[in-house]
Amino acid sequence: MLLTSLSALMAACGGGQAEPQQALEPAQSLAGGNATQKVVTSSTAGTDAAQASSSNDWDVAGTMTASGAYRTLTQASFGPTPATVARVLALGRGGWLTEQMALPFAAPLAQTVDALYEARLATNPGATPNRRDLLNAFWREALTSESQLRWRVAYALSQIFVVSADASGAFSDPVGYADYFDMVARNAFGNYRQLLEAVALHPAMGRYLTHLGNMPADLATGRVPDENFAREVMQLFSIGLVQLNNDGSVKLGGNGQALPTYGNEDIEGLSRVFTGWSWDCQAGRSDSCYRTKSLPDRYAGKRPMVAYARFHSTAEKRFLGVTIPAQVADPAASLKIALDTLAAHPNVGPFISRQLIQRMVTSNPSPAYVASVAAAFADNGNGVRGDLKAVVRAVLAHVEARESGTGDGKVREPVLRLAALARAFPISSISGEYRFPYTDIASRDLGQSPLRAPSVFNYFRPGFMHTGGALAASGLVAPEMQISDETSVATYVRFMRALVDSSGFGEWNDQLKRPDIGLDFNASLALAPLAESLVADLHERLLGADYPALKTQTVNAIQSIVVPVLNGTGSNQNAIDKAKRDRVRAAILLTVSSPEFIVQR
Amino acid sequence: MTTTLKNLSRRHFLRYAGGMTALGSAAPLALNLGLMGHAAAQSANDYKALVCVFLNGGNDAFNTVLATDAASWSAYTSTRQEGSQSVALKYPGTPADPSAPAGTAARWGGALPITPLNAQGRQFALHPALAAARRLFNVDKRMSIIANVGPLMRPTSKADLTNPSHALPPKLRSHNDQQSVWQAMAAEGAASGWGGRMGDLLASSNGQGMFTAVTTAGRSLWASGAAVHPIAVSSAGALSLGTDDDGSLYGSAELGAALKRISASTRGSNRMETDYTQVVQRAVDSEAALRTMLPPASDARWAGTGTAGGGQSLNYISPNTQDSLLNPLAQQLQTVARVIAAANGGGMAVRRQVFFVELKGFDTHDNQTVDHAELLAQLAHGMLYFDSTLGTMGLQDNISLFTASEFGRTFTQNADGTDHGWGGHQFVLGSALAGGDIYGRFPTLGVKNAGNNRFDSSADLLDNGVLLPALAVDQMAASLGRWMGLSNGQLADLLPSFANFGMRYPQPVA
Repeated sequence: MLLTSLSALMAACGGGQAEPQQALEPAQSLAGGNATQKVVTSSTAGTDAAQASSSNDWDVAGTMTASGAYRTLTQASFGPTPATVARVLALGRGGWLTEQMALPFAAPLAQTVDALYEARLATNPGATPNRRDLLNAFWREALTSESQLRWRVAYALSQIFVVSADASGAFSDPVGYADYFDMVARNAFGNYRQLLEAVALHPAMGRYLTHLGNMPADLATGRVPDENFAREVMQLFSIGLVQLNNDGSVKLGGNGQALPTYGNEDIEGLSRVFTGWSWDCQAGRSDSCYRTKSLPDRYAGKRPMVAYARFHSTAEKRFLGVTIPAQVADPAASLKIALDTLAAHPNVGPFISRQLIQRMVTSNPSPAYVASVAAAFADNGNGVRGDLKAVVRAVLAHVEARESGTGDGKVREPVLRLAALARAFPISSISGEYRFPYTDIASRDLGQSPLRAPSVFNYFRPGFMHTGGALAASGLVAPEMQISDETSVATYVRFMRALVDSSGFGEWNDQLKRPDIGLDFNASLALAPLAESLVADLHERLLGADYPALKTQTVNAIQSIVVPVLNGTGSNQNAIDKAKRDRVRAAILLTVSSPEFIVQR
Repeated sequence: MTTTLKNLSRRHFLRYAGGMTALGSAAPLALNLGLMGHAAAQSANDYKALVCVFLNGGNDAFNTVLATDAASWSAYTSTRQEGSQSVALKYPGTPADPSAPAGTAARWGGALPITPLNAQGRQFALHPALAAARRLFNVDKRMSIIANVGPLMRPTSKADLTNPSHALPPKLRSHNDQQSVWQAMAAEGAASGWGGRMGDLLASSNGQGMFTAVTTAGRSLWASGAAVHPIAVSSAGALSLGTDDDGSLYGSAELGAALKRISASTRGSNRMETDYTQVVQRAVDSEAALRTMLPPASDARWAGTGTAGGGQSLNYISPNTQDSLLNPLAQQLQTVARVIAAANGGGMAVRRQVFFVELKGFDTHDNQTVDHAELLAQLAHGMLYFDSTLGTMGLQDNISLFTASEFGRTFTQNADGTDHGWGGHQFVLGSALAGGDIYGRFPTLGVKNAGNNRFDSSADLLDNGVLLPALAVDQMAASLGRWMGLSNGQLADLLPSFANFGMRYPQPVA
């Protein structure tokens, strides 16, 4: 069995006591921020704090609470652990962000998938790369990586710049698809414009939205360029369908209707830009390399697509008020104008900012919140537009992120619920690979897997309206409710029941008769005879705040399992152990099934 | 029998409705239903269900129903010119070429001719993978075609499109928005769909209102009403909330009850919690009902083995590989059949139901020839499986199924695929429309201009040959709503653009 560094870390800090005694130190000063911001404190400032989203000074000594640290880690990581809560308390939230953003990045997904393929090749020359390794590698990072903020932001971005590992291309080239997600993670603290270009030129995206090998128009046959990427890069990856104000509200025309950002002519114009791009084949840029849909060589899926001038449209390209005149085919020049135009569009800031807020913090941010993040997008304080570090910082700094009770929050999606539960306890993987099969079948498991959205529209839409409830009556959206139905809410609880019963999840290890990924509930077992202590500890681990009514109901319920007193001969030890186990299982199950856990506030 | 758009004028409606209107608009729904029973008097059983099969991604109408008369075929072959990557299908009667590569039009042979009752002076065929659908259309007369239907606010010509003040549906050609427009007549963010709102109007005849709307495809906007919430039911049937069969948890009944209480209720006023826990409560309630009422998948009526289900297996034959594969659509329709059985003698007291099922993958920007054939084979097989199963259940007259899809696709091709369009053709299976016919005017195909990709040769074709719908979704919905027993007044309330089309809807005329 392979103990991860994380579980070692957790053991070192007491296996779960989340109240560090020495935590309340002055926040570190942050590099690269805006020194002219006035100083505010997080817990006492009102509206001023909301405006001061780029302030360095969110957490002045003595103002930070464990539940505040917990909230930030729920938003900015795959789930708080005792160790990370202690770290945030030690550094302050701003300091923790700075530390996280400075961690080195090693593009681990593609490396892992390829290494496992290589290992199989050694014994079986006919082996193929396994797409399951991609999900395993992702889970390992999510559950155990120190770079929690990077992967959490990358996960959010992967739900905007969607490429699904469920696509046919991922079956044949999981290394290339893994590289796509590595690329997103690499750019998570980079610049939006560079991310957009890396997305546009990645072969995984080229295959997914079918602009790889896209042919220019042929007037004689009536053939037109494929419009797929041109359409979705505008609708989903940059500007959206309707014109936005900086606070994310929709601009209305004189007739009261939303003003569209583009029409079909713009899509036709932009589709010409995305012709003449295909594989960077080792064997050179032949016609057959341009046209092939199969992976041409082992690592072609990791190399950005390259220009093939002879397949690039030479016609005039008009879009979004820009005209690229008829040209001697110059795909790189066309691409630069197109991406510069998209990245400079005033919609990008509010459009991307609002979605990042929704993915990390809350489904219905106030206009002021969106505006503050969009402002950071427009200018990071040093005159740079699209700096995602500044954007992420602004998302997490706003008062609606830092303080509870400012809104209804968001439904936590199943993947993040599972991750939060798994990270709340010491974790290990028998294989070391974190083997975890797909969990997207709603009638059987979670109804969601990371990186395997059913389409480029993700598992859920930013504008999803949960019909017929309190939210819709108030005009509030609830994206994650799009995968919450009578089947999936039940299978979620069933999945968690199976998890607590086997103290783990993932691929079944037949030799050891337990799942590959194990969770260590020993600390809870020790508390089991005292129902109140057990529940209090679990709530600290899983909720990070006090919920007295839930605690009372949970304590009362698990007390229906009586832990016998050890008799003189010790003959009832097994019954005692079983009762303790059942109490722990029940208490965890009740907690993770509660709306207090499922909704992130 | 000829096919027209029957104009049900207000006067006609009043005459038809007779004394009911004297009771005013607040007339009890039961009376309404009694009245509408008149239209379906031939059916001994009063039960009715409407099944929406949503073809997610935008189905290519041009390769689903093909016009094959000389002028149309000439337009087809000049627009979808054959080539190494073309999506073009072969002319009816072209023999299959067993030496051609798998997954090609040549390997399948020509499109399959159909013989509509009213051929509109033209000739038609179906995609070669739609053999089962052709049987339903030509032989069984159980399936019909609604031609060139799509979202419209009012009748719209090509000339109208140049008039900025002419009202058009919002966000045309956008997947998510047109899915919403098809299902709810409004872009993403709509609060209810026309299937669910039909359910709102009809639910009063349902003892167990909870099962007025059922979805086998997760959340369904179409089946969501103001009061009606579609219940998600999977092939796994009743799914407990993690408790054991007797409702206990770790041997404790109290714990089992606590799990339900804690997960299905809030201890505060957070609206996310309120709405989420309401779904959990419905999961608990529906599980309790389904546990006793839902017959098992292994029931011979729909098991898809041997001669059960009219001999139709749950597996279809892939047109690309010839493998026998589980049809995900048939599996969903099997679940629908099980719920229908529960409502017909199984103890589920409902007389009007709407169902939502979905087949995904129609966004054929590339590799269309292979992918589209696979999907259409699933669709056709799924419909035949369902119709055969309903036959075994003796309920063929009580259920109507229709297809919908967010848009059709371009007539022109982008090498090996097609792009987002607007209008498209849809299928109706069952007695809402008389089978074996095409409803609505089939569009005129033409050739594109020499110097650009506009189609001045046809009043129905926009740039790249996108179909300008001739029939509004509202009109198609009205046909189905009438069959379900809604009055014209109710339809006018339900379907915002219906009045703009003179309340005319596809309907067979005796």
